[in-house]
Amino acid sequence: MQNKLSLSISPHIRKKESITRIMWTVFLCLLPSGIAGIFIFGIRSLWIIFACISTAMLTEALILFLRHKKLAIADGSAALTGLLLAYNLPSTFPVWMACVGSFFAIAVCKQAFGGLGRNIFNPALAGRAFLVIAWPKYMVSFSKPFIYVDSITAATPLNLLKQGRIESIQQAGLDYFDMFLGNRGGCIGEVCIACLILGAIFLLWRRIISWHIPASFITTLALLTFFLGGPQVGQADVLFSIMAGGVVLGAFFMATDYVTSALTDKGKLIFGFGCGLLTFIIRKWGGYPEGVSFAILIMNATVPLLDRFCSPRIYGYEKNT
Amino acid sequence: MDMKKTLKEFTKGILRENPVFVIALGLCPTLAVSVSLENALGMGLAASFVLLFSNLLISAIRNIVPARIRIPCFIVVIASFVTIVELLMAAFSPQLARQLGIFVPLIVVNCIILGRAESFASRNTVFLSVLDGLGMGLGFTLALSLIAVIREFLGSGKILGHVLFESFPPATIMILAPGALLTMGLLIGLINLITSRNKG
Amino acid sequence: MDVGIILSIIISMVFVNNFVLSKFLGLCPFLGVSRNIKPAISMGMAVIFVMTLSGLLTWLVYRFVLLPLGLVYLRTIVFILVIASFVQFAEMVILKKSPALYRALGIYLPLITTNCAVLGVTVLNIDTFFVNGKSLPGGLVLTLLQSFFAGIGFTLALLLMAGIRERLDLADVPKSLRGVPIAFIVASLMSLAFMGFNGFRF
Repeated sequence: MQNKLSLSISPHIRKKESITRIMWTVFLCLLPSGIAGIFIFGIRSLWIIFACISTAMLTEALILFLRHKKLAIADGSAALTGLLLAYNLPSTFPVWMACVGSFFAIAVCKQAFGGLGRNIFNPALAGRAFLVIAWPKYMVSFSKPFIYVDSITAATPLNLLKQGRIESIQQAGLDYFDMFLGNRGGCIGEVCIACLILGAIFLLWRRIISWHIPASFITTLALLTFFLGGPQVGQADVLFSIMAGGVVLGAFFMATDYVTSALTDKGKLIFGFGCGLLTFIIRKWGGYPEGVSFAILIMNATVPLLDRFCSPRIYGYEKNT
Repeated sequence: MDMKKTLKEFTKGILRENPVFVIALGLCPTLAVSVSLENALGMGLAASFVLLFSNLLISAIRNIVPARIRIPCFIVVIASFVTIVELLMAAFSPQLARQLGIFVPLIVVNCIILGRAESFASRNTVFLSVLDGLGMGLGFTLALSLIAVIREFLGSGKILGHVLFESFPPATIMILAPGALLTMGLLIGLINLITSRNKG
Repeated sequence: MDVGIILSIIISMVFVNNFVLSKFLGLCPFLGVSRNIKPAISMGMAVIFVMTLSGLLTWLVYRFVLLPLGLVYLRTIVFILVIASFVQFAEMVILKKSPALYRALGIYLPLITTNCAVLGVTVLNIDTFFVNGKSLPGGLVLTLLQSFFAGIGFTLALLLMAGIRERLDLADVPKSLRGVPIAFIVASLMSLAFMGFNGFRF
């Protein structure tokens, strides 16, 4: 009763959703993709996922303890960061390196900024970018699906595309169905598009994520690929460009992170557009075969400016006052 | 003038007023050339040389130079010594000159040197200015070397070009730009933490 | 001159070899003037202006004075003097012609003289566009482009940083990391993100 009488500033209408609930829902929606990853690439994927999550939670607990704060590790945000980082690693990746990346993600990208809700950059993606640049060699050795032997490595379809060895999906010996189910080389959690879409639909249905960012991200990428991707307009394999790499995982689960993406709808559309544009530029002309994580990180840095210049007009005021 | 105060002018640059960590000056060369300890020592030596002689000359001419055009005069003095260093380095250690590249001419605009000229050498005697220059130069070199040791060890697994022990694949990021900025940020944070603890 | 070279210079100067985030040039103003967005915009404009014209002037001086006279070794002294006098001159002209612009940029102009990014871009121009004492074809245009986009890259980094730092004012950053250290960490992460453009080839 007492709580109901407390005075506060608007907004007064509340949903039942709490941070903890949202975090664990997203976590659950991501699980099918991880299970598919373990099934496709073998049990080693599970160790990497486990290592990333436990390092993330331990780091969070340690820093909160040292800063004399409430040990709020059950809110699931650290676990989610660890899970997302693991999803962005190949299954052959050394476990201790994955732990270093997870530590970097939580300690430097999140807690140094003041913890939950304060970070500027998506911690999982920053952790991945850190690992890509720290140990590039290990980040590009992908194991072949359903072989379960570490020593046999396969190039991802995007790698082949970058090296100019293939131009379409058929030449990679795959069809769209393979891509959709995840029968291809890639990172643990990004290959099974079917599972990811399942989770994404649930999140969209529950209004935990809004459609703006994924829609503008994927549309931008598709249009650019259609017009500029191939030797002639319309020759590029648009569907392939969307299903390859981390676009689906990135667009639905990482670019939509509340803390590090724009607040307003207009801002979200611009944010998604920027992600798509940068992803395309890096894929087409950059040195790395995949640009999703870097594109989202660069757009993360623009969020304070986007929020500032896309903020809604205050009610009752003229424009340009 | 008592001995203690004189000594203080020398030591302040090393710890209490370390130009890099405490006053956050002269950052460009600090970060760019701290890829390896060798580069850091070379840069530290070059900057200390310029700092020492520009302090000396500027304090010697401090009463002749009109106040209004003092900054351009200081810059010319500094630029002359930088040119001397550039030529000496190209003659005696062309390899180091190549590695430091653009950052040798950039010593001119290093804020430490103009900063010391303006705030110390133009107001103090030649003797004190020389001590100040030596101390600041030493502090700068030490700071630079500290960053370089961390980056070289983590980023290429070596110290002064020697492999100490083969234990881990070096994290390339540490010898690239993000590693430099990160090392710098965390080191300053660490120094803040230690000084705030010491103050109680 | 083809579009490829121009685009490569743009991407290189703005992202891959961003002056602040990858070459550490101009860190002092980057840390000093990035607390709020408004001054950051003014500072950025001033830097773009000074960089472009200094690039042009020093190229002309190098090509038509230092090179023919064999005074190449005086490069550093001459360049810093050219920049300093140009900034001084620009300040007077702006004050006379447009007091409004002077109020916006005025206090930043003198600061720029000792901005290592400006001297840096002039030296870099000479190092890249002169081979064995000869100017590359189209060197002047390339110099102008490189100087201008180096300024754009600086301004972009400065603006992003200012937006982020305004937001960080509200965050509970650990006490010993507040101010300069957290700014360095943000810069480190921005530089990490910009590395996505590594190996750019048009």
